Amino acid sequence: MAPPVIVLDRVAKRFAGHTAVDALSLEVSAGLIYGLLGPNGAGKTTTIRMIMGIMEPDEGAVRLFGDETDIGAGARNHSARIGYLPEERGLYRKMRVLDVLVFLAEMKGVERRAARVKATEWLERLGLSDWRLRRIDELSKGMQQKVQFISTILHQPELVVLDEPFAGLDPVNTQVLKDTVLELRRRGVTILFSTHIMEQAERLCDELCIIARGRRLDEGAVSDIKRTHSGHHLTSGFDGSPGRATQIFADKALVKKVDDYGQYAELELAAGADAQQILRELIGSGARLSRFELMEPSLNKIFIDLVGPEAARAEARPGA
Amino acid sequence: MRRVWAVIRREFVERLRSRWFWISAVLGPLFFGAMIFLPLLFTGPGGIKRIVVIDGTTTRFGARVADSLDRGSTFAVVARVSPRAGLMDSLAQQVGLHRLEGFLFVKDATVETGAAEYRAANVSAFRDVAELQGVLGRLAVNERLERAGVDPATVSRAQLRIRLETKKIAGAKTTGESSAESFSLAYVMAIVSFVAIAVYGVNVMSSVLEEKTTRIVEVLVSSLPAFQLMLGKVLGVGAVSIFQFMVWGLGGRLLLSQRAAIAGRLAPLDREPAVFQMPHVSAATIAIFLSYFLGGFFLYSAMFAAVGAMSSNEQEARQAQQPVMFLLMLAYLSVFALAGDPASTYSIALSLIPFTAPIAMPVRWAAGSVARSEVTASLALLVGGIAVVTWVAARIYRVGILMTGKRPSLKELGRWIRA
Repeated sequence: MAPPVIVLDRVAKRFAGHTAVDALSLEVSAGLIYGLLGPNGAGKTTTIRMIMGIMEPDEGAVRLFGDETDIGAGARNHSARIGYLPEERGLYRKMRVLDVLVFLAEMKGVERRAARVKATEWLERLGLSDWRLRRIDELSKGMQQKVQFISTILHQPELVVLDEPFAGLDPVNTQVLKDTVLELRRRGVTILFSTHIMEQAERLCDELCIIARGRRLDEGAVSDIKRTHSGHHLTSGFDGSPGRATQIFADKALVKKVDDYGQYAELELAAGADAQQILRELIGSGARLSRFELMEPSLNKIFIDLVGPEAARAEARPGA
Repeated sequence: MRRVWAVIRREFVERLRSRWFWISAVLGPLFFGAMIFLPLLFTGPGGIKRIVVIDGTTTRFGARVADSLDRGSTFAVVARVSPRAGLMDSLAQQVGLHRLEGFLFVKDATVETGAAEYRAANVSAFRDVAELQGVLGRLAVNERLERAGVDPATVSRAQLRIRLETKKIAGAKTTGESSAESFSLAYVMAIVSFVAIAVYGVNVMSSVLEEKTTRIVEVLVSSLPAFQLMLGKVLGVGAVSIFQFMVWGLGGRLLLSQRAAIAGRLAPLDREPAVFQMPHVSAATIAIFLSYFLGGFFLYSAMFAAVGAMSSNEQEARQAQQPVMFLLMLAYLSVFALAGDPASTYSIALSLIPFTAPIAMPVRWAAGSVARSEVTASLALLVGGIAVVTWVAARIYRVGILMTGKRPSLKELGRWIRA
């Protein structure tokens, strides 16, 4: 089996008394889309910067492409194999589109002439070839975003790291980026991206890692994560009489949280409670059920369940 | 290394492409010329000044003073009047209405004690005052000699105008350089160095700031170490400055040669064409100027790079660059002291301290002769200074380019440097 493309081994980074990333470990396998999910301030950007060798971890090791030596800032040794799109984006405003692309490709070790050819191809592909000799500041924001994607993948990297790639994109570019990401995966490129937008993560990612306050809360395939968090949520609908449903739902040994709409209720089960027991009690109470369904929670729900209390706890201990 | 080259080339090519480079290539010499010659022009004869002489003497002394001043090229004596009550006030009114420049009051006592009074709109005009002092002094001496019984003819024969010819001695050889030429060369070098270091240093700063605010720097430092990026920038901008000097130098030469040709065509065949003579600039002087300019540029642009890295926007950078500018200005503001007494302890100290040496040493070199050992020591200190400053600046740069938000305090800067 191919070695993981990225391995973080108990990586930590602290800034002046504040721990941005705390003993974080994760593995990204080749050819997957891997999501780094977390609220703002969770440590996603710091984690990505350590992967990119822009920052060195205070503790732990970052290993790329199965390189056994701890690379630290030496991620630059692999920089030709990695494409990177930082969170807040910008380009040299006064430079011509083509020149910017050639320069950034040269930074990734592409030979000048080859870079020109590739840049021209990509500009054509994304409908910007008429603009290749214009200055960046003459382009619309959407066009600039396209130029930036091109600069990220022009040198045909094996790993693409995108920090909040969908933030601030217009719908057209969101689509372009999504298609590009999927196209890259088809070609075997590994993609790591950070986001706090659940829908995208849910639709795009094969695997993900949920972090908050610099710590990992869960990691794995999206389907596995959903499975481990499923079976805790159910909905019930009543056809006429709900019987003694309200009393049953109030039993803290069975139900942790309830949204009761009278004819319809959404439940979150208490720890260790069995959905079958609730079903039996409801029928025993004379309720006429039209619906009783165990729900697979949305990633959004899992995320809030995981992150909410964690974030709240951390907030109560400032400086921790 | 290929990546550093790409950074250097980008800085170089993009700057050469900018309209501003070519505008300054053309306007630069005009600007420097204006800065150098306009003050000289204004201190030159500013037209003939109309004055009144109040003659309170009982001898012919007052009349002689008025005549002598009127014959000179500085003043026109519109009237010689006797003192009376209210005269000074009415004359002062005339001055206020700009009908007169001022008035001179001479008395018998002037001959005895040398005391006279000049009231005018502008009493800080060196030339005017020097002319008045010269005329009064000369005539007072004549008057006193005549009173002592010396024949006026003997007095006038005894008078001698001094024309002091100055030639500079450099390395035990007398050069063709006059003191005025030495000074103007020193002055020109100081201005050009100061302006070029400031302008190109600020260029480095803006370039750092642009990459920081657009976050391109993150992409760049994931490909090459921060120090190499900074180095590439400084070298790229430095190359532009050298190229700029070359453009100016070649342009100047071309202009001068064309001037000679034009003058030759216009002048009558049997006469030597009168061609503007450049002050003599030796190859050693050019070498000294360029080495110190480059040294100064590297020293200051490293500091400007650090300033750019620690700021989040143009406004912050403008504030943070002020201490660096002051440091640079220190030597520039001392040009007169340096050129006036190049061998003083102050001048020697300034030419040894790395922060002031880039401007101070070329000025001392142009104004007087400097021992080779001093130049060597000063260059060694400058190189040492560049190494230390670059080391510190690179550490600030490395951390600063990734920091956003408020500007760091001095304590935080210290932490960045130690980190």
